[in-house]
Amino acid sequence: MILRCLLAALVLGGCVQSGTSTDDPARQSASWSWALPFYFPTPKVPSDNPMSEAKFQLGRALFYDVRLSGNGQQSCASCHEQGKAFTDGRAVATGSTGEHTPRNAQNLANVAWHSTYTWANPALVTLERQMEVPLFAEHPVEMGVNDQNKATVLARFQADRDYVQRFAEVFPGEPIGFSQIIKAIATFQRGLISASSKYDQYLQGKATLSAAELRGKDLFFGEQAECFHCHGSFNFNDQVVHAGSGLTEALFHNTGLYNIDGKGGFPEPNRGLFELSGVPRDMGMFRAPSLRNVALTAPYMHDGSIATLEEALDFYAAGGREIKTGPHRGDGRLNPFKSDLIVRIQLNEQDKANIVAYLKTLTDEKFINDQRFADPRRSK
Amino acid sequence: MRLYAILACLILSACNSSGDSATATPISPQPDQAVAVQFALKAGGQTAECNTTLPALGSRATSAKLRDARLYVHDIKLINALGQEVPLALTQNASQYLNVAMLDFENKTGNCVGSSALNQQVTGTAPSGQYVGLSFKVGAPDTAKDAAGKEVILNHSDTMAVPSPLDIMALGWSWQAGRRFVQLELNPDVPAVNGKTVNWFFHLGATGCKADAVNANLFSCSNPNILPLRFASFDVAKQRVVLDLASLLQGVDLSQDAGGAMGCMSGPTDPECAQIFNNLDLNLNESAAGKKDAGLPKGDGNFSKVFKVELK
Repeated sequence: MILRCLLAALVLGGCVQSGTSTDDPARQSASWSWALPFYFPTPKVPSDNPMSEAKFQLGRALFYDVRLSGNGQQSCASCHEQGKAFTDGRAVATGSTGEHTPRNAQNLANVAWHSTYTWANPALVTLERQMEVPLFAEHPVEMGVNDQNKATVLARFQADRDYVQRFAEVFPGEPIGFSQIIKAIATFQRGLISASSKYDQYLQGKATLSAAELRGKDLFFGEQAECFHCHGSFNFNDQVVHAGSGLTEALFHNTGLYNIDGKGGFPEPNRGLFELSGVPRDMGMFRAPSLRNVALTAPYMHDGSIATLEEALDFYAAGGREIKTGPHRGDGRLNPFKSDLIVRIQLNEQDKANIVAYLKTLTDEKFINDQRFADPRRSK
Repeated sequence: MRLYAILACLILSACNSSGDSATATPISPQPDQAVAVQFALKAGGQTAECNTTLPALGSRATSAKLRDARLYVHDIKLINALGQEVPLALTQNASQYLNVAMLDFENKTGNCVGSSALNQQVTGTAPSGQYVGLSFKVGAPDTAKDAAGKEVILNHSDTMAVPSPLDIMALGWSWQAGRRFVQLELNPDVPAVNGKTVNWFFHLGATGCKADAVNANLFSCSNPNILPLRFASFDVAKQRVVLDLASLLQGVDLSQDAGGAMGCMSGPTDPECAQIFNNLDLNLNESAAGKKDAGLPKGDGNFSKVFKVELK
C-alpha cells in the first residue's frame, strides 16, 4: 500500500528526481541493462532466467516464429501485434486451429512488472508459467503444442542452423527444448518496455501537456473520476511486483459489467476468479489491465465487450453496465460483488473528452515502432 | 496453511536429510518382495477399452466410446494384519516417478487420443510380510522426497522440466499450473454438433490454486481434490482395483450438458461436477460456510462407490 502510494506520488508529482536512478547497479549487468525512467522500479527477474541481450534477441525471433505452433500457422505475434501495443484488435483471440479463446488478448507493454498474468489467475505469477497456457492448452487450443507434435515442433528449431547456434550461445550445454524456448520468449517480453509516451516525456520534463490533457490527468488522478484507484501505478494498474517487492497482494475487481441473474452472475466461462475458486465474492473479479497505450488496445474489457475508450468511460461513469436485451441482460450497476470503487460518478462530456485526451498521452509511438521489438525477419 | 506445511517440510528436509527413517529401530533385515498392484477400468461388468462401446452410462443410459482414460495415483501402501500401512517403494520407470504412478487405460486405438502404451499396474517393492489391505490416493501430490531425502515439487512442477510420467503434456493443467489427476474422456453416442463428434470430459485436479507471493514455484490450492482410497481387505496376488465408470457417472446425464464445461472439469459450480464429486465422496465446495473442506474427501476412503476390489 505504501509502495503504491509512493509510486502514485512519483507519477503524480512528476518533479521528484530521487528514487531509483538509471545508474542503479541492480539495473545493469555485463549482458543486460535496464534503461528505465527514474519512476520505474527495477523489474523482478526469476533467478533461473537472467536477462541477456542474446537471449532477448533469441526470444524475439521465437516470438515471431509460426513454427512454434503445432500446425505451423501461428506465432505469439499473431495475437500480440506490435502496432496495436501487442494486442490483436479483436474482441477475443483466435487460436491456431480456429478455436476462440473466451478472453481478449492482453497488451504486453511492461509485462515484466505484473504480479499475476492473464485476466484472472493467481496461479500464474511468472511469464514462464503463463506461457504454458497459450503453448499447450487444449481448451481451447491456442498454439496447439501437444504430446503428439512436441518432438516435431522442437525438430523445426533443432534443424535450423541459425537457431542451433543461437540456442548454444544462450543456453550452453542445454538441449533446444520448451524450457529454453519459454525462457527466451519471457526474456523478450520482459524487455518490452513502454516508457516513452507523451506522458512519460512530460514526467521527464521533455514535453508539455495541452490544457485538455492536463485537465484529463487531474480528473484521472482525482476523487471525481477515481481512475487512479486501480490504474494509479507507474504502469497504470494495481498489480505491480518488482525487484524490491516484499509480499504482494494480487488485487482483482468486479466492475459491474454483468449481472445476468440478478445475483451478480457473469456469463460463463468468463466469471473471473470465480471460475477457479467457486467462492461467491470472487464472481466477476478480474485484474485491472495497464492503461499504457490504451488508445491502441481496443476493444476493451476481459471479453472485448466495450468497443471504444469513450464507451469505457461511459461505463465507468455509470458505475457499471445495464444490458437490456439478450442472453446477458441484467443490471451490472447493481451487481452485489461490484467493487466499492466503482460508483456512479459525475462526468460531463467535456470531462470525458479530457480524460480520453489524457489517456491518449499514454500512447507510446516509440514503443510500437521500435525495430528492436519488431519481427526480425522483416526489419533490420 | 498447506503452503506453510510445504515450506516447513522443505526447511525440515534441508536440515535433516535422514528424514523419517531415522527413527526406525534396527531389526533383522528382511528381503524386500516385489509387488504389482493391478488396476482395471470397467463400465459396470464390462472392461472399458478404446475399441468397445460402453453401454448405458449415466442417468439417460447413454452408450459411449472411450476417448481418454489416464490418472495419477500416489502414496500406495500395503496394510498388514496389524492395520499398519507400509509404503510400496515404486520401481522408477516411465510410468512411475518417486511415489507417483500414472495409470493408462487407453492405447490410442478407436476414438482414443492418448499414447499407444497401456499401463494397468503399479509395481514396486515392500518389506517381506503378510499384507491384507491396500491404500492409495488418486492425484499428484504437491511434493515427494527423492532418494536423497530432498523434497521435490510434483503437482505444480513444470511439465517440461520433470521426469515421466509427470511430463505428459496432455495431463498438464497449465491454467492451475498443475496436473489433471484424472482424465476420463468419452464420446457419447449422441448426434454430432456442427459435424463434430461430441466430446465429454471429466478432468479432476486441484483448483483455486495461488502461487506463493515470494516463491513462484510454491502453490496452495483451495480445493486440493486428492481422493484417498482404502481397502481393508485386499489380496494383491488375487485381486485388483477397479475404477467403475458406471458408478463414477451414476446420475449424470451424458446425452446433454447441463452447464459449465462439457462434462466436468472440476468447476465448483458445474452441475455434472456436483454429481460426480458426490459419487467420489469428495466435497466439490464447502459442506457448510466456513468449514474449509472444499476439495477434501468426505470420508477416509474406506467405502468408495467408484473404486472397487475384484478378483483378477
